[in-house]
Amino acid sequence: MRDKTHMEQVERWARYVKEHPTAWKKEHTQFINAVYEKAWDAMERLSQQPNGKAKIVALRELRKTKT
Amino acid sequence: MERSIGDRNILDKFCTEFCSIVEKHAKYIIVSGFVAIAAGRTRATEDIDMIVERMSKKTFNKLHHDLVAHGFVCMQSDVADELFDDYLTKKANVRYTYKDKHVPEMEVKFAKDELDMLQLQSRIKLPSTGLDVWFGIIEMNIAFKEDYLKSDKDIEDARHLRIVFDVDERKINECKKIIRMYR
Repeated sequence: MRDKTHMEQVERWARYVKEHPTAWKKEHTQFINAVYEKAWDAMERLSQQPNGKAKIVALRELRKTKT
Repeated sequence: MERSIGDRNILDKFCTEFCSIVEKHAKYIIVSGFVAIAAGRTRATEDIDMIVERMSKKTFNKLHHDLVAHGFVCMQSDVADELFDDYLTKKANVRYTYKDKHVPEMEVKFAKDELDMLQLQSRIKLPSTGLDVWFGIIEMNIAFKEDYLKSDKDIEDARHLRIVFDVDERKINECKKIIRMYR
């Protein structure tokens, strides 16, 4: 269980979104894009390592069987 | 893919592009985590959850090939008949990604019961998200997260939705009752 400060942060941000219906989007976009760009870059680097492509296939298989 | 900071983030683009193709073939809704993210929740996700109305194999074939023609690939199989027979009609999900990317994924499932059908019938658009896609109603998403899914992440998503949207508490309670009837 996360501590109460985590939920407080969730509530603080949600209130900011509610009160600033346009301003939140740029910050949100930066955050979301950073997550995926990081993941894509990591895969790109992995693909260039020895056995990297095989590891990527294994990771894909793992996700394929996810329920 | 172009990397820039605009009104649409990577997840928004992925979802919008995918939904615009599905829209041509079937009725659908986006549910669960992405509803909260589209409404501003600061977290990412590996997959967006989509419920589509049940369809014939022929219609699914057309949908699958349309998706492939637009740069999407299915992780389970390239063969539409196989996806239909071995996954979708057996209440299993199939997952699509951009052809050259491993995330994000669109997790697609057929409506499996009256509850899913009810959600499809009551689907809405949420102008405040800036996205032209169909969502399951906010109250049902909150009810699922608070009463059925219940992980820390889901409870936080529900809290976010409660603050951002003016929700109908009575409707949330009705949704919880319906969920308990079917799940």
